Amino acid sequence: MNRKLIIKSNSPLNDIGNRTKQSKYLILMIIPAIIYYLVFCYFPMYGIIIAFKDYTFGTDIITSPWAESSGFGNFERVFHLPKFWSALRNTLIIGVSKLLISFVAAILMALIINEIRLRFFKKSFQTIVTFPHFLSWVIVAGLVLNIFGPSGIVYNITKATNGTAVSLTSDPDFFLPMIFSTDIWKEAGWSSIIYLATMAGISPELYEAADIDGATRFQKIWHITLPAIKPTAILLLILSIGGILSAGFDQIYNMYNPAVIEAGVADILDTYIYRSTIQSSGLLEGEGAAVGLFKSVVSFILVIMVDRIAKLCGERGII
Amino acid sequence: MRKFNDINYLPLRAKGSTFDSKVGTMDWVLFVLMFIYGLIIIYPFYNAFLISISPAEVYNTTPFLLYPKGVTWDNYAAVFKDSEFMGGLKITLILLFAGTAYQMFFTVITGYALSRNRWVGKNFVMNMILVTMFFGGGLIPYVVLINKLNLANTLAVLIIPGAIDTYNMLLMRNYFASLPPDLEESAKIDGANDLQIFYKVYLPMSLPMLATIGLFFAVGNWNSWYNAMLFIKDPELRPLQYVLQLKITQASSQVDNLIIDDKFSKEGLKMASVFFTIVPMMCFYPFLQKFFVKGLVVGAIKG
Repeated sequence: MNRKLIIKSNSPLNDIGNRTKQSKYLILMIIPAIIYYLVFCYFPMYGIIIAFKDYTFGTDIITSPWAESSGFGNFERVFHLPKFWSALRNTLIIGVSKLLISFVAAILMALIINEIRLRFFKKSFQTIVTFPHFLSWVIVAGLVLNIFGPSGIVYNITKATNGTAVSLTSDPDFFLPMIFSTDIWKEAGWSSIIYLATMAGISPELYEAADIDGATRFQKIWHITLPAIKPTAILLLILSIGGILSAGFDQIYNMYNPAVIEAGVADILDTYIYRSTIQSSGLLEGEGAAVGLFKSVVSFILVIMVDRIAKLCGERGII
Repeated sequence: MRKFNDINYLPLRAKGSTFDSKVGTMDWVLFVLMFIYGLIIIYPFYNAFLISISPAEVYNTTPFLLYPKGVTWDNYAAVFKDSEFMGGLKITLILLFAGTAYQMFFTVITGYALSRNRWVGKNFVMNMILVTMFFGGGLIPYVVLINKLNLANTLAVLIIPGAIDTYNMLLMRNYFASLPPDLEESAKIDGANDLQIFYKVYLPMSLPMLATIGLFFAVGNWNSWYNAMLFIKDPELRPLQYVLQLKITQASSQVDNLIIDDKFSKEGLKMASVFFTIVPMMCFYPFLQKFFVKGLVVGAIKG
């Protein structure tokens, strides 16, 4: 009897039981989340084995046969497709450039807003530049087509002035600049907010001291403001590196058209997978899953690498 | 010092680097920059609006309008009469209310459960959730899943997969975790259970954060088209943004059926639909801006 009691109070299993009993409502609250993540995130992870199988939609994953070359047939075929390499190249070009451009744009925007001195101007300007963030790319694409697209303003003006109408959205050379500039147009204001918050935390005494020393405004920005936002900037840059291979499906999908796809400048991995498996044909299901897995794995490696590098450099990691 | 819990703590109050009241060259340069960039942001909206109110003959004869020459509301009338568009609006409104409520419910309870440390397995569940932020199955397995669940081509596919947004959930979790734990202790002593503590103590204290997250969800629902594009085949189940996308980007333009006579231009109708979709956002945005800003700032600093 005595012995039993001692076991009861000391056994770790019993402790777990008691704690679970005490927090039964918390467990109840977390159960939907566990189910949700298992179904909507972990089942798709299990579905990755499609990449190693000859699977078609509507059949059973388990019973469908393994792909040839001991399961790696889908990868072999995909890696021999020029379209895959073109999509990968575009993804890297668009992903990396967008990362750097939006990084610089956000900081510049924050500096400009921070330097505006009239409160009314500062507030209205910030309201205006933040607004496009809340529109979908569908709408932004509509607005852009209306200016640069076929039957847009540029088209109409060139038609009226020299007779040859120009539709810039179908011009392959114009595609990347358009992607970058619309990205700035839509997101720069929003991304600048986080830097503005950091700038708001800079002690005014630093600027006062610089004033006394006769520093110009540029010197104050260079020696006080920029160093103050450096840690935030580095952290945000690191965080965004994991997303390089997701170069922005929404934006590209709404802004590309057959002309630029044909020219091979527009397709990114995500649009390539979607267009050639769901929307029309070109890839088998297994091949589409293989491209998707390739993207997920590379992104994951990027995140881990960046995290390690950040920790080595003494920054706060993300994992 | 202001706390982040204070809704008035906004970067809008950033001080800048200069205290001198004299207006210098730099101020003028800034003013010009600001003016030009502001115009670049505003012009596409203005242009869309201008085309949407221009009569077809004006639009067809003048390539470039700077100010309205003749005003007509026919395009908007046509959009209001368009059954596809109004059907889309109906679906989007359902998403906006039902979807937002559903997402809020699951995201908030998950955030709360994860903000309490007592229960066994919390770290495991937390890690299980964090992994999904960095690794996913990709499109094909997702499509297979939706088909297996028989959700394809139903209204439910637009709502159910969005139950928990990990980012917003973590925002909520961090907010709950930042509230003083003494509250929970004293409620416990008074005999309240975890559900009561959550509902009666923590929820009422989190209204600003709930509003912020609710608005993020609402905007997401208003703008959602991706799941519809993947899974909705039935034209009557298309949400607004997807209807709009088909009208704008499809080569065989869907506005053709609206052009009953010369009174309408294709562009005018398109821009009326676009503008119609922007207006609600434009009306609400200035009032809600501070909530959005707060969500971003709190999330980035603590998350």
